[in-house]
Amino acid sequence: MKTTRLTSAIAVLAFLFPEMALAQTDPGVRPGAINGQPGATPINPLPLQSVGVNNPAGSLAFFENGLARFQAVEVVANGANNGLGPRFNLNQCSGCHAQPSVGGSSPASNLQSQVIANGIVNGSTNTIPSFITAKGPTREARFPFFLDESGSPNTSAPNGGVEDLFTVSGRVDAGSCSLEQPNFSSAQESNDIIFRIPTPVFGAGLIENIDDSTLIAVKTAAAGNSFGVSGTFNHSGNDGTISRFGWKAQNKSLEMFAGEAYNVEMGISNEIFPQDRPLPEEDQQGSGLPANCLNLGGTGYPEDTTNFAPTASGLPSAQYASIPSDVVAFAMFMRLLAPPVPSPTSPGGPASIARGKALFSSIGCATCHTPTINSTQPSAFTPSLGKSAVSAFSDFEIHHMGTGLADNVSQGGAGGDQFRTAPLWGLGQRIFFLHDGRTTNLLTAIEEHASSGSEATLVEENFDTLSAEQQQDLLNFLRSL
Amino acid sequence: MPTRFWCFWGLSLLLLASAQGTPQSEDLADSTQPKKLPTGVLLVKGAWSSASDPLTAVPEGGKVINDAYRNAYFGLTYPLSSDWAEKYSGPPPSDSGYYVLAQIRPADTFKGATQGTILIAAQDLFFNLTPAQNALEMIRYTEENLQAGYQVEQPPTEIRISGRSFVRLDYGSPAAALHWRVLATEIRCHAVEFVFTSRDTELAEALIQQMNKMTLPPEADLTSGTGGGDAPVCVKDYAIGENVIKKVAPVFAERRFNPVPVRIIFDREGKVRHIHVLSAFPDQARAITDALSQWRARPYLRDGQALEVETGIMFGQAPRPPTPASKTRVIE
Repeated sequence: MKTTRLTSAIAVLAFLFPEMALAQTDPGVRPGAINGQPGATPINPLPLQSVGVNNPAGSLAFFENGLARFQAVEVVANGANNGLGPRFNLNQCSGCHAQPSVGGSSPASNLQSQVIANGIVNGSTNTIPSFITAKGPTREARFPFFLDESGSPNTSAPNGGVEDLFTVSGRVDAGSCSLEQPNFSSAQESNDIIFRIPTPVFGAGLIENIDDSTLIAVKTAAAGNSFGVSGTFNHSGNDGTISRFGWKAQNKSLEMFAGEAYNVEMGISNEIFPQDRPLPEEDQQGSGLPANCLNLGGTGYPEDTTNFAPTASGLPSAQYASIPSDVVAFAMFMRLLAPPVPSPTSPGGPASIARGKALFSSIGCATCHTPTINSTQPSAFTPSLGKSAVSAFSDFEIHHMGTGLADNVSQGGAGGDQFRTAPLWGLGQRIFFLHDGRTTNLLTAIEEHASSGSEATLVEENFDTLSAEQQQDLLNFLRSL
Repeated sequence: MPTRFWCFWGLSLLLLASAQGTPQSEDLADSTQPKKLPTGVLLVKGAWSSASDPLTAVPEGGKVINDAYRNAYFGLTYPLSSDWAEKYSGPPPSDSGYYVLAQIRPADTFKGATQGTILIAAQDLFFNLTPAQNALEMIRYTEENLQAGYQVEQPPTEIRISGRSFVRLDYGSPAAALHWRVLATEIRCHAVEFVFTSRDTELAEALIQQMNKMTLPPEADLTSGTGGGDAPVCVKDYAIGENVIKKVAPVFAERRFNPVPVRIIFDREGKVRHIHVLSAFPDQARAITDALSQWRARPYLRDGQALEVETGIMFGQAPRPPTPASKTRVIE
């Protein structure tokens, strides 16, 4: 009787307020094939297609070797993988880069919350910070400002560097090393703390192989838009060319990205510029070098590469793959990792996804989240990286995102409110969104694009003007990526 | 007897409270507690805009005040209905000279059935990434480069707004059922754009009609808004070659790679009156301002009369080669 009355009440409400019944909702993490790739598993993501067929010979061994090292458990000493600490955020790359598979972003269960229970840190010398929870995102923490003598943030002394969560103090393999954790609670009390979650690295090799002139052309093509968008690039401090990895596009190459992460996130102490370098004025004008001056060796880029299968000796390539350092191996793993494949049918069906895709461009999202960049430069690594379209849904520029998203950390040319346009490929199977993982709801992530000082405010307003059905189509499209 | 009893206890309690350290003055209590950073405030900026003096108007200085958008640099006032307001300010000027001057939307009191937005923007034509040399060519460029999925509803057309010539482009998205109305004119060598976005074309038309209440400077024109009158004349690349009598190069403390667009006003004697750095890090802005303030130029003459002249200089980047202008026609 009560169930019948309740059902009737719901039916009446749905009749009187149809929009309530059709209210748009984030469909949630897309089920099905990991990264849209049949055959991928949580611990075995797929390589690029050409690498999967071992082209060139030896490349697959390097991918697999890098993948294995990416999952290696690091220790301080006396083990197979030494060098952890003395400060670290976790002891395993794939512990953080795990969703939906190794190489991804933050998983649903946070291993950082279990480091004491799992014996990774000593519970008498370490505590789990309050912002690390079992079901929350894996995080690194930074203090935007150094503290003054009174313990207050000194806004004249920007910090912004990573404050590692744990120390090796008390570990059996750490000897007499004795360190204290940073004062996270004090930083939280004074609002002097921000967080970052892992960036996924699927398809990273494609991103690395886009020439600067291509990125500049994409930026020029967006000029004259009616959305108030005008981004810029972060630049390598070494040679002035465009950098592209990290939340603020602060890193030039995957080796730089891997080297920094290995050292900063795991305390393990490592390369490097993959393009022919044009003159500065040729780079800034977007013309690059003349076409008849490129690829003179005929092997693609870069002109000096790791030797997958040298002819001088008969060692199998799997052993060659063990020769490079961990950082180089990580970079090669990321470089050869396949990009996610969007689902044409899920969620919502192909018609909804197609409508959502059209809306994504119409209302202005594609101004920054460029659907496809054509194309990469020739590759000396493997054919799948050369002359390929990069459907990352990013222009790789840094944009002002306003006070709502600002973290007050500057990196290279990116100020405290500027962030690289986050690539959206693989979004469908991510759990946590935005740079600090503050939400698991796509709708919230979209709303956060609007705030004072943001280039995305008008586009978010356009989203708000869509009907509930249109918004659902757009959400379905995003979750199909 | 009872009164004395309660007085005694009251006094005792008072003395006891004092002994335990009742809260002292507010200053003393606060100084022992770490201060909190404010939330939602940008404290660490990257490259940003700055000016050599706070009195000379700059493009980004416009504001919505008393139901009107007012911009002293462009000499324009755009009256708004009281149920339209600016909720969020725009980003700072970009390093390619693009300004989001205002983003206006219906206020909470808006009673209309459908909504829309008004973007007031400006593109500094001295630092334009596109080949456009004036407002007309900017709108032609926009039309020529519309992505797939948009339909032109009315090609670039010259119209009059408050007695000044504007160019108007209408386009829409059938997928989103959204319509854009872009109106632009040129003022002080900037393409100043009003972009109306709505699902309701009648609402957009009503907002456009409101533009006829605007005040605009006499020089506003879709191809030749090049200053004059109360404003300096604007001349592209004036501060080069023999026009510059004295030139001091900025000394940068650190090598950076961001482009730094700068507008400079020379007075009638050729001395620097004002420097506006559109986008620079503080050390860059200081070095450029220190150097430029020492420059001397030949006085700009027009019809034998010396005039103030405003021009642009791009630091930190190689000069761009000249690009061909658009050849698309305009329907008049």
